[in-house]
Amino acid sequence: MIASTRNAETLQVGSTLPVMTQSFTIADLVAYGAATWDWHRMHYDQEFARARKFPNVMVDGQCYGAVMAKHALAWAGPRAFVRRLKFRMLAMTFAGDSLQAEAEVAEVRDEPAHAVVVLASRLKNGAKLTAEGTIELRMPK
Amino acid sequence: MALLTDELKRWIGREAHYPAHEELGRASIRYFALALDDANPLYVDDAYARQAGYPSLIAPPTLVVETCQYAHRRPDETGYIGHEWHLPVQGCRLIRAGNDYEFFRPVLPDDRISVTWTLEDIAERPSSRGGTQLFVRSVARYRDDKGDLVAINRETIVLQPLEPNA
Repeated sequence: MIASTRNAETLQVGSTLPVMTQSFTIADLVAYGAATWDWHRMHYDQEFARARKFPNVMVDGQCYGAVMAKHALAWAGPRAFVRRLKFRMLAMTFAGDSLQAEAEVAEVRDEPAHAVVVLASRLKNGAKLTAEGTIELRMPK
Repeated sequence: MALLTDELKRWIGREAHYPAHEELGRASIRYFALALDDANPLYVDDAYARQAGYPSLIAPPTLVVETCQYAHRRPDETGYIGHEWHLPVQGCRLIRAGNDYEFFRPVLPDDRISVTWTLEDIAERPSSRGGTQLFVRSVARYRDDKGDLVAINRETIVLQPLEPNA
């Protein structure tokens, strides 16, 4: 049995997704860097980061998009497809930090072959807004 | 002092092409899902993915636009191997501003993805720190071995002078 996919017709604009937490240890940063073939020292070499006046090694900003997509798809289900993901980076994240992914349904619309659900998504580091974006999901009808 | 020199303007429109070296591969997909602590079975279980309507397991959507797997060079002094323009700009730090991704179909382990980067625009705008900074807009187009687009990545980076250029 596969997980169910949300029915766009039943979704209300403004309804929120469950909050998801993503933590970043140095091991997580190394794993992400290796998985994306990105060996930039900023993500694992503390001496390199501190020489550039950063408090610790830094999460790759592109990882914010991966976290937003993971959050959206865990909620939407296996037949949902991310058609567009647009995000702005507002703050840096360092090893030892955790991000909370929040999102709500911003728009639901009908297209001939499928439904489209637009989520307004945010990543927060405690009270600090770290990234914000929109995710356009194509959903089966 | 203007940051956007005539030399820099000549970079607008440049392209860099990275041909595919191999299929994306199941190992790359499972590795990425593990790194993100993503337990979605679509990324590791062919039978599950087929039940959901896909031809095989699929890649997490942003893998194709985040990976430097297309690159084939030794790390530079920073360790990086992915695409960089190496613009002739001195005394600036690079800050990622944002990305805008479009996806046209799920990416599969057997896909061979080539990438073409284009430098679309460089603009000089006032900085909230005083002085100005450069906004560099690039677009990467990801194509399969039939030449069909699978994803587009529009990326903006900011080159910010370490000392405001007033």
